[in-house]
Amino acid sequence: MSADDRAQRSEGTTATDRDVEQRFREQVLSELPVLLRVGRRLTLDAGDAEDLVQDTLVRAYRAFDRFDGRYPRAWLLTILRNTHRNALRKRRPDLMDDEVAHRIPDQGAAGRADGVPDAALHDELDPIVRTSLGSLSARHRAVIALVDLDGLTYKEAAHMLDVPVGTVMSRLHRARAKVRAQLEAEGITGAPR
Amino acid sequence: MTLVGPNPGLRISEEPVCLEVVAALQAHLDGELAERDAPRIAGHLARCARCASEAATVREVIDRIRRQRPALDLGALGRLTGVVERFGGPDRPVRPAP
Repeated sequence: MSADDRAQRSEGTTATDRDVEQRFREQVLSELPVLLRVGRRLTLDAGDAEDLVQDTLVRAYRAFDRFDGRYPRAWLLTILRNTHRNALRKRRPDLMDDEVAHRIPDQGAAGRADGVPDAALHDELDPIVRTSLGSLSARHRAVIALVDLDGLTYKEAAHMLDVPVGTVMSRLHRARAKVRAQLEAEGITGAPR
Repeated sequence: MTLVGPNPGLRISEEPVCLEVVAALQAHLDGELAERDAPRIAGHLARCARCASEAATVREVIDRIRRQRPALDLGALGRLTGVVERFGGPDRPVRPAP
C-alpha cells in the first residue's frame, strides 16, 4: 500500500479498496446459502452457524489479497472448515478431526433445535425418507447431508470430511441404496433392484 | 486435492456396456462426470430401456432425499448479507497490507 493510499485510507476508502470490496462481494454473496447450510451442519445450532459464517467472512476478507479469484466456494468452504476446527480445538482440545462426520444431525432433530417448526422444513414431508435417513450411520448420514441436502460436490464433501472422493462416492451409494430399499419395501419406487 | 472439476478416477468407455453404465449412474445423475463422459452415459440410456429404468429409479430416490433439505434460515442469510455489504463501509475488517 502506498503512502498516498494509507493517507486516503485514514480518511476513508481508496479506489483500490473499493475495487477489492466490490470483487469480494461479488465472489461471496452467492455462496452465503451454502456456507450457512454447511455451518449449520457443523455447529448443530442456528446461532452458532451464523457466528461461524460471520467469522469465516471476516477471515476471508482479510485473506482476500491472497485468493486467486478461482472457485470461491471451495476457498470459502476451506476457511469455514478451518475456522470451525480452530474454534472446536479451543473449546474441546480432546476432539479429533473426524468430528465433522459425527456432527450430522438427523433432520428432525435439526429442525427442532433450529427453532423452526418441522412443518416449515418442507411442504411435503416424506416420513419414510426421513426415517431412513435417521437410521443411517453417522458416516452415511454425513455424505447424504453434505451432497444431497447442502449441495456440495463430491470433492467438496470429501474435503469437509477429510476422506478420499472414492469414499464419498461409495458411502453415498450405500446410503442411497438403504433409502431405496426402504422405499421399495414400502412399495413406493417402481423398478425392482 | 483440488476441489473442482470432474473426478479423475472415473473413465467411461466410448460405448459403455450396461454394467459400466449402472456403475457410473450415480455420478452421472449428480453431474460429476467429465464433459466427455456424460454424453456417453446419456447415449446408452437413450438406447437401453433397462438402464433407463434403473436411472429413473435412482433419480427418484435422489430427488426424494433432496426434498428433505431443511429450509434456509432467511433471517440469518439477510444478516450475513448485511455483514458482507458493510465490508464496503467504515466498519470493514482491516486487511493486512499486501
